[in-house]
Amino acid sequence: MILPQGTRDVLPPEWAWREHLRSKVGAHFSAWGYQGVELPALELQNPQHPQDHRAFKLIDRGGEVLALRSEYTTAVQRLVRLRFPGGPFPLRLQYGGRLWLRSQASELGRLREFTQLGVELVGVATPQADAELLALSLSTLEAVGVKAQLEVGHPGFLDALLEDSGLPEALRLKLHDVLDRKSGPDLSALIRSEGLGRELESTLNAVNELYGGPEVLSAARRLPLGTRAASALAHLERVAELFGKERLLFDLGMSRRYLYYSGFTFRAYAEGSPRQILGGGRYGSPESLSAGGAAEGHLGGAGFALGLERLTEVAARHLPAEPEVVLALDGSGAEYARSLGLIAEGCWTDDRAELSRYAALRGIKRGVQGQSFGDLAELLEAGA
Amino acid sequence: MTLAPITPTPITLALPKGRIFEEGIALLARAGLPLALPEKSRALQWRMGHVTLLELRNQDVPVYVDLGIADAGIVGKDVLAESGRAIYEPLDLGFSRCRLSLIREIGASGPLLRVASKYPRLTAEYLQERGLSAEVLKLSGNIELACLTGLADAVVDLVQTGSTLKANNLEELEIILQSSARLVVNRTSLKLKRGELRPLIGRLRELTGEQADAPH
Repeated sequence: MILPQGTRDVLPPEWAWREHLRSKVGAHFSAWGYQGVELPALELQNPQHPQDHRAFKLIDRGGEVLALRSEYTTAVQRLVRLRFPGGPFPLRLQYGGRLWLRSQASELGRLREFTQLGVELVGVATPQADAELLALSLSTLEAVGVKAQLEVGHPGFLDALLEDSGLPEALRLKLHDVLDRKSGPDLSALIRSEGLGRELESTLNAVNELYGGPEVLSAARRLPLGTRAASALAHLERVAELFGKERLLFDLGMSRRYLYYSGFTFRAYAEGSPRQILGGGRYGSPESLSAGGAAEGHLGGAGFALGLERLTEVAARHLPAEPEVVLALDGSGAEYARSLGLIAEGCWTDDRAELSRYAALRGIKRGVQGQSFGDLAELLEAGA
Repeated sequence: MTLAPITPTPITLALPKGRIFEEGIALLARAGLPLALPEKSRALQWRMGHVTLLELRNQDVPVYVDLGIADAGIVGKDVLAESGRAIYEPLDLGFSRCRLSLIREIGASGPLLRVASKYPRLTAEYLQERGLSAEVLKLSGNIELACLTGLADAVVDLVQTGSTLKANNLEELEIILQSSARLVVNRTSLKLKRGELRPLIGRLRELTGEQADAPH
């Protein structure tokens, strides 16, 4: 084995694409007021961490267990509690870097070391804050030439609906799994085998169909909802109104896939990519904020992250062409070519045959000498 | 409101070789897709109107659908559950019914130390739920033979009529899973191609509704 499974080398030209995207995305976040932070890749292992079972572990000198960073939101929350306990809120932060997961669910050889770029909007829980994140995510993707469709959901809606039904937790978990797969047959089988009442049956069947355009919101309104489900829906409606309902897809059957997202969630689908390229949501309830949760170190916030590997795949066709590479026969020629935005490589030898062999392999056609460009073969011949 | 597109969105469907392929095409054609059973040939995919049809091994259908090469497909619940892939599964199409069961030689009463199956994941899950710690052997065919030759103490395999079991002095001890053909849909396609897929699901539900609700 030459490389650990799920890791990879990044070679030219992909490296340049990645760096281009990274700087474009970072600059875009900055222009919206999101200031950058850098977080350690080594963390103290914590069994409460949402990805703890999937994180790489290391043993420190004193025997303590460390974990490699497996997810950013939790790390940023830690940073905010420690460094910005008193705000000022809202706090807008951006981050970017590598993450590691020991086990990746489905595919053999799926990347276990990957890069995410993201933002967190901490300390506020208003619909306006959520709408800002939607607008920022879409405009970020647009800034790198990716046309995307946003979809929003609210796991709190399904949570509340199932909790209000008074079903035991084990059964609720089964229903979450079944609804997350939109499995009509498994839902019918559970309803039959557990003897769920007629009213719950028709509500659950309806929830399974709650995806699509803005019509989903009014369909959800017609269901018998408790206060918490209704308030989750009202929050989502308000966010959608602020952002523009017609520009969104909705899925209210979407269950929570990350346990820390308790509020509104969203994701972006890009044309030509079968997987979502961006995902985010709200964590920490608005209640915990208004009840002085911030003071107790429980800071609510919301954010999103996009996968740089997937973004590179989708955005590659929109990337600007690399500037031409020329061979500089002298120092002033190199400076001149670079001042024009070209890439100038220097000569490392006087062996003209060696230079022309290298240029052919590297695909270099032109040379520069002083302030004049010319066909490289001719320039080399003239100098010989 | 957006008007119905004049040209339908192209979709790709993954179907397994064999009986499900034929029954699936017939059903999809009744649901309004421009499909007909292709003539026997060496082709692996067909373009029919706006639909591209892929003919796959049944274990491969969930892979093509999960990774979005196919927008939707038809596959047995047994194969879908074994794949462990969380793809959308909106409909029971009602045909190709069978059950996945724990099978032993009649009268066998020794402990379960080794269980052979084509379905190692489902077998391991079943044993774990029962608190049994048996070794699971993955085999590829004629699973019952593992029992008869003493390779395994029991097998987990599909039962359709039970006549093979009877002929070989085997008995079905417990049904693990009831299976039938399912419509499966890629997570992104259901959202981005819902204009095409949602009406299709609706029409298939009408066509198969009675069958699927029939008692097993």
